[in-house]
Amino acid sequence: MQARLNPLTALAAAAATAAITTAASSWAVSLTVVLGGAALAVRAGVAGRLAPAASVILTPFWLSLLIMHGLFFPEGRTVLAEWGAVRVTTEGLGFALDMGARTAAYVVVFLLFSFTVRVPDLVAVMSARRVPPQFGYVLASTLTLAPAISGRLTRIRHAQESRGLVVRGGPLPRLAAARLQMVPLVLSLIQEAGDRAQALDSRGFNGPMARTSYREVPDTAAQRTFRAVALLLAAAAVALRISGQWPEMQWPELQWPGGVPA
Amino acid sequence: MRPAPLLQARIAEFSYHGDDASVLRDLEVDAVPGTHMAVLGGSGSGKSTLGRLLAGWLSGGHAGRFRGSLRLGAAASAAAGDSGPIIFHGAPDDPRINASLWSEHVGYVPQDAAALLSTVGSTVAEELAFGLENRGMDRRLMHDAVLRAAEAAGLAALLERDPATLSGGELRRLAVACAAITRPGVLVLDEPLGSLDEAGAVSVSALIRGLTDSGTAVIILSQTVDELALTAAQWIVLDGGTVSARGTPGGLAGSPGLLQSGVVLPARARDGSGHVRRAAGPDPADQRRRTEQHRLTEQGHCAGTATRAALELERIAFGFPAGRRGKGPRVLADLSLAVRAGEVVAVTGPNGAGKSTLLRHFNGLLRPDRGCVRIDGADIAGIPTGKVADRVGLLFQHPRDQLFERTVLREVLFGLERKSGPEAAAKARTALAAVGLGDQLESHPHELPASRQRLLALATVLAREPKLIALDEPTVGLDRHGLEHLDEAIAAAALRGAAVVIVTHDLAYARATAHRILELREGTLREG
Repeated sequence: MQARLNPLTALAAAAATAAITTAASSWAVSLTVVLGGAALAVRAGVAGRLAPAASVILTPFWLSLLIMHGLFFPEGRTVLAEWGAVRVTTEGLGFALDMGARTAAYVVVFLLFSFTVRVPDLVAVMSARRVPPQFGYVLASTLTLAPAISGRLTRIRHAQESRGLVVRGGPLPRLAAARLQMVPLVLSLIQEAGDRAQALDSRGFNGPMARTSYREVPDTAAQRTFRAVALLLAAAAVALRISGQWPEMQWPELQWPGGVPA
Repeated sequence: MRPAPLLQARIAEFSYHGDDASVLRDLEVDAVPGTHMAVLGGSGSGKSTLGRLLAGWLSGGHAGRFRGSLRLGAAASAAAGDSGPIIFHGAPDDPRINASLWSEHVGYVPQDAAALLSTVGSTVAEELAFGLENRGMDRRLMHDAVLRAAEAAGLAALLERDPATLSGGELRRLAVACAAITRPGVLVLDEPLGSLDEAGAVSVSALIRGLTDSGTAVIILSQTVDELALTAAQWIVLDGGTVSARGTPGGLAGSPGLLQSGVVLPARARDGSGHVRRAAGPDPADQRRRTEQHRLTEQGHCAGTATRAALELERIAFGFPAGRRGKGPRVLADLSLAVRAGEVVAVTGPNGAGKSTLLRHFNGLLRPDRGCVRIDGADIAGIPTGKVADRVGLLFQHPRDQLFERTVLREVLFGLERKSGPEAAAKARTALAAVGLGDQLESHPHELPASRQRLLALATVLAREPKLIALDEPTVGLDRHGLEHLDEAIAAAALRGAAVVIVTHDLAYARATAHRILELREGTLREG
């Protein structure tokens, strides 16, 4: 199912969802988007990769939100607890929840996109849209960089272990060992980048011609319509929010007294 | 009448920046359509530099100083709007060759064929199409061209495969096909048969013959007189960056120019290395005891008795986790092996049989799913590789995977100080001298020619004086001098009582060097 989607459709859906979630500024909408994203991730079989990646990004962010807004929120009026300058207020906690949920929605939506998009499809679509091929190449290389680097690191570590480097379990010893692998890693990546640049040149990559694409990426009238509608909805939502005409919804308990700070 | 050359190179001198010594000098190469020429030379003779120069990768004064000229054939020159030679004076403002345009006339496949791939093509078909996409070819024409190229290269059944999963021979054919797909008149191929097993070499040779028959001028750079070199119309022998002999294969066979160069001659593997076997061969009584011991080991259990064998593998089984190497059968299944001190054992088998996987079990880089590995009678289960490395030295298949330091000397010293203390520096120098790198202590490992990179990797193993030496395809990329150093190192190690296991696809080398030959097939070892 995912593989047949045009990457632009998936990208439009992700961008529109993010824009509408921002415009809605509601923790309930954000949480719904997160849950929807999680359900799609499970269905696409990427939940196992998405969950750890999302938690690595979100955990420190949520902690900082909690400290910044949960403990220090000058506009807060309903004080739940107070220690000197530190005041825990309902409004502060609510703001942290709203921001946290909204960020979670962005992160889940864009991770879902990057884990399900077929990189060659995306590059092919971009080159068909006359995006400079260098941009597509950098994007594709970036999306495939992590596995390439981890493979290289493993090879360097194996070489070092074979010559007496003892790597013990546990994160700290592994980190200490990784320090020894950083210089060779960077040097070998630079070396390879130089070789690769010459090889790409010789295959006409920086040539003067307009690039064509071998890969045919499926697209349908329905998908084109969906993209147009999604982008229109996103634009409308942003316009409504900016103009102050956004219809306020009544959410129990955590609704802001004077509207949500944008 | 001899057809006009498609490329004429006149090289007065070429040297890299930061190095006064010239890498190439007084050299002329003419690429004639429909012919096949072999440029032969040992390590450091300048072959790869010549290849890169012909490919237009070293022009314009940014890589080095080039005095000489390059001239495309009449048709190509006319297409480029210029009929004269491109002249280089070794000055910073020398003309720069546009590699993209040049590659339409001169295709080049470097020694490391994988370096030519774009890495963004998710299938063989897309990788083949990359050069055509960049030249703006219409999609329908491109599909036809990809199909034709794949058929010529024997890749038609692999079009939908991920290039990262190809075997060595398939990868090399893909790289040649990628360079040939834009139909350049001249193709320069650096060590096209290096590291290929027999089936791989046959398939690449067939592809190259097809290209020559269709009118391409093919220039092979090689340090071995292999079957491909033997079918060339002309040989140029390079030594020290210049031509030491030139002529037909028949005329040059046995000539002093060829014999004095580092080129590996076809008969070498069969008669060269007997001294290893003679010097260190166990006597027949030992052989009988070993066979008996081997049988007992095969019947025993993991916690069994310690024996005198330097290496014992007892009924080990191993498979890569699903998803990393696909599903497939176990790579190693119920495999047993015992190697005694002073014994040289060769393990042969085709590319992809699991030979490298087997070697990585010796020092614990890979751990068996079942069975046990004993070094000097002690089970290595639970002992970190870094500790096992005190007794086991492993030469990797790709030296680049093994080299990570800034200088040759530092490379050998890594981990050696912890093992050998104050003697480390002396041991490092001795090991480097033994492989012929005693005068290159401060060179950067990545800047050495491939042959010397392998010798450096070998020195890192020798300096540690391990009880077991495991060598993964040690002959690949070595020139004749390098092979001599390798033979001497193996003989010396066996004499001091080290056990040596060599993995090689080169059966002739295995016969000449080892006391015992085993074939790895379907996950187990059989007497060869």
